[in-house]
Amino acid sequence: MSNVSSDLRAPRRNRRPVRPSAIGKNLLALALAAVFLFPVYWMFSSSLKPQSEILSKDPVFLFTPTLGNYTKATGVDLFWTYVLNSVTVTVGAVFLALVVALAASFAIARMKFRGRKGLVLAVMMAQMAPWEVMVIVMYLIARDGDMLNSIPLLTAIYFVMVLPFTIWTLRGFIAAVPVELEEAALIDGCNRGQAFIKVVFPLLAPGLMSTSLFGFITAWNEFAMVLILNKDKEAQTLTLWLTQFQTAFGSDWGATMAASSLFALPVLVVFLFLQRRAVGGMTAGAVKG
Amino acid sequence: MKRKLVAAIGVAGMMVGIAACGSDDGGSGGKSSGDGKSVTVWVMDGSAPDDWMAGVNKEFEAKHPGVKVKVEKQQWNGIQEKLTTALSEDTPPDVVELGNTQTAGYAVTGGLADLTDDKADLGYDGWNKGMVPAAELDGKLYAAPWYAASRAVVYDKKIFKKAGVKPPKTRDEWVAGLEKIKKSDSKIQPLYLPGQSWYVYAGFVWDEGGDLAARDGEQWKGALSSPEAASAMNFYKKLQSFSTAPKDKDEATPQQSTDIVPKGGVASWIGLGWEAGGAIAAIEKAGDKADFGYFPIPGKTADKPGSVFLGGSNLAVAERSQNKDLAKEWLALAAGKDQMAKYAKATAGALLPNNDAAQFEPEAGSFAEAMAKSASVGEVTPVTPGWANVETEQPDQGLHDEGPEGRGRQEGR
Amino acid sequence: MTVHSQGVAASALEDAPGKAAGKSQTPPPASGSRKVPQPPRGRGRRALPAGLIPYLLLAPAVVSGAVLLLYPLVRNLILSFQEVGRRELITRETVWAGFANYTDLLTDSEFWAVAVRSLLFTAANVVLIMGIGSLIGILLNRLGKKMRLVLSVALVTAWAMPIVASVTVFKWLFDEQFGIANWIMRTLGVSGYEQHNWFETGMATLTIVTVLVVWGSIPFVALNMYAGLTTIGNELYEAARMDGATGWQTFWAVVFPSLKPFFLITTFLEIIWVFKAFTQVYAMNAGGPDRESETLPVFAYIEGQGQFHYGVAAAVSVLTIVMLVAIMSFYFRLILKQEEEQ
Repeated sequence: MSNVSSDLRAPRRNRRPVRPSAIGKNLLALALAAVFLFPVYWMFSSSLKPQSEILSKDPVFLFTPTLGNYTKATGVDLFWTYVLNSVTVTVGAVFLALVVALAASFAIARMKFRGRKGLVLAVMMAQMAPWEVMVIVMYLIARDGDMLNSIPLLTAIYFVMVLPFTIWTLRGFIAAVPVELEEAALIDGCNRGQAFIKVVFPLLAPGLMSTSLFGFITAWNEFAMVLILNKDKEAQTLTLWLTQFQTAFGSDWGATMAASSLFALPVLVVFLFLQRRAVGGMTAGAVKG
Repeated sequence: MKRKLVAAIGVAGMMVGIAACGSDDGGSGGKSSGDGKSVTVWVMDGSAPDDWMAGVNKEFEAKHPGVKVKVEKQQWNGIQEKLTTALSEDTPPDVVELGNTQTAGYAVTGGLADLTDDKADLGYDGWNKGMVPAAELDGKLYAAPWYAASRAVVYDKKIFKKAGVKPPKTRDEWVAGLEKIKKSDSKIQPLYLPGQSWYVYAGFVWDEGGDLAARDGEQWKGALSSPEAASAMNFYKKLQSFSTAPKDKDEATPQQSTDIVPKGGVASWIGLGWEAGGAIAAIEKAGDKADFGYFPIPGKTADKPGSVFLGGSNLAVAERSQNKDLAKEWLALAAGKDQMAKYAKATAGALLPNNDAAQFEPEAGSFAEAMAKSASVGEVTPVTPGWANVETEQPDQGLHDEGPEGRGRQEGR
Repeated sequence: MTVHSQGVAASALEDAPGKAAGKSQTPPPASGSRKVPQPPRGRGRRALPAGLIPYLLLAPAVVSGAVLLLYPLVRNLILSFQEVGRRELITRETVWAGFANYTDLLTDSEFWAVAVRSLLFTAANVVLIMGIGSLIGILLNRLGKKMRLVLSVALVTAWAMPIVASVTVFKWLFDEQFGIANWIMRTLGVSGYEQHNWFETGMATLTIVTVLVVWGSIPFVALNMYAGLTTIGNELYEAARMDGATGWQTFWAVVFPSLKPFFLITTFLEIIWVFKAFTQVYAMNAGGPDRESETLPVFAYIEGQGQFHYGVAAAVSVLTIVMLVAIMSFYFRLILKQEEEQ
């Protein structure tokens, strides 16, 4: 530990060709990478194994891969309905959250108004909402309002789930954009809205990406709400599909892992695609608090 | 986990493919639409062979032109939460399948229609007397019994033969046989029995003349600290010493039938018909052949097999159903003698129908035959409204986790 | 504070049009505005009174929050004063219970045990996540380009794995009969791991859950830490080195102050996320054995969905919020203070 931080003394040195001390560092990094990858690798490799080799006394590392589990997982009735629902709900929630949060965070970051402090507090508190245990209340509200099995309602709930974090992060980004840039645009004759769209908005790209990533994961993974609110199969999402291979009569682990791998794939792709920007983005947002 | 077990009891999983739901339109349950009304039926995954169900619905729809029956297959996982909320909705499923130990719990909620006045139509008098109590509460009828099943010992014929062991008739013979297998091959597990196979243990308690809970006025109290329960525990522990199965798990984690037995090295295990079927399928899928024999769980003496827990399902009508009369008629048809006879046949006798007259003569040497032998000593858990809570998937509340290896704290509510 | 926020601004702008980032510290010269297509002339402000604009901008967020969060929270509060079981849910009867749910809970030693367990669990996790995460962030900053890519891809992949799947995999890894953990121990020749039960006690179960939660949360911290570090100019390190500071001193003198807001916010988020973690705890061992690994959200869920005591569950969730707010009040104050400084 201490030798890691002692390296801080000479930050530039590591740009030089590999030196002995760098080998230790690289080995450590490799070991860490292995630790973080292993469960993912295990999920993926299990998805390619025949059922009989998935759970075994001594782990099986070499096997003949089969795509059978994938055919089974995607061959489920209504699979594409679930995909469509998941995408609708996730994209809808993320998009709504971005639009609404953009307006709100701009106001919070750039404007003075009464109740601003209270609002900031409310945004922070809203992040603590215990959604898992509010399921039954949401259910009662939906039932009495005749809104069960509704994709729009589910979208709206997910939207509010991710809204506080989105506002908070974007606010940091907007605050980080120098006011002077905006002022210059105003002097040039833009109104505030135009100044925002032309000057501030383009600079928010990383922030928008990082927050949408967060929203994407939250909405994509949500399970408790959709389980109770949407009993109609036509209105269910992929998270319920994920669990349907584990039944009382025995779990089809191969299909479960194939489904999990497919389920993780979009997130992974989005992540790797956005990674560089998004990661920088998260911090900027976070750091500005 | 227990919920799943109870639930899964008696399911002829081996014959019932995981087929698509019978629903032919995607609308949400139970709404009457257009000129024709519809009856929505929730059955559990694996309960009803598809062909049989199709036959029932064909007959029903022929009798009621314009009425559609929609069958929606449910997973046991999360079913109590789903059912509880569904029964509170304006358009609940009209007919629902309930585990027999769960029925009383739903009856007290007001969610189930009172069927007391429909006894005659439903064929009450012909029902198996052992199954009826689980459909009644305080003298009123809330469901029709559907089917039941119990556990038997499944053994690997080859291993038994090699060790020179014959299917036992008494507990002593049983233990002696296991001992023999243990000596013959140290790599083989004579009996796979996890520490929390709760319903197996229940049978031993009944064998001793004890019970799981005793009624104490209005309340149910756990009776697991009784001397009967203690001696049942001793026997259970003795059996468990022949197993390397985990002490704090039940037979479903990992699933003994599909995750353990197919890997070999297990001489015998205690399971349900669908478990035996699942194990056979898994073994065949891996390119091998299963050679299973079955015998009833031995009793203390040769003249009476060991007591077994009689799990199964009832069919009930939702109180809020929009088409109660139609629902009752469907119920009378499906749970009636004629259809039940077909049902017993369709499941090859692996499930006991609600009516003795509908019983199917099982094939010799089948699981069903072994099960039928112990049907006479089948018992159901105490019929108490709180039992459903006990079974819900939650770790140690009430009786359910008082597994044989468990601690003594419990209360039957 | 200003120093770091500028630094961060630069990092945030890293991928934005390069010009803007470079000029962020000074008002752009007139030429900069060429980029902006000519708008209609006239001084910016519209007819709307300036005082109203912020409220208009906030309206959608506030309204949706009020309808879909505040209202359910209020309903939840009301529910916590009712007796709601399956009968009440199905018959839709309202049965008032007064404070019974609360008094029952607050006098129940089990509830307090769960509450204390939750706090300890959260503390242990957050410390581990922040500690290891920060160190990995520092390591990332010290690595060469290729190794850095390898490690960050690994982190990102772990981060992207669905929770339901990761719990299943972890359960396998530590399975009594088929687990790799036992296999490794056996292979290493450690005795007693033929069939070691890693979930034997609540403590043991929560330890495995901790491994899972820490594994899943580190990427967020480490990658953000790294991104934060890149914003600290080399001159600062250089200066510290000139002053003869040791590595540890450099960390406290340079890195920590620069990244203080990062630590503040990330810790805040992690506390909330870990405290609320439900799937990881519940799916691992359903709160068992013997309800010994239940944390507050799991306790609430089991009381509610498992035992059908919805009123009690609502009360648990209200108490959970109260507790969180109490713990977090320190943070609220810090963050609000920062707010004022801006």
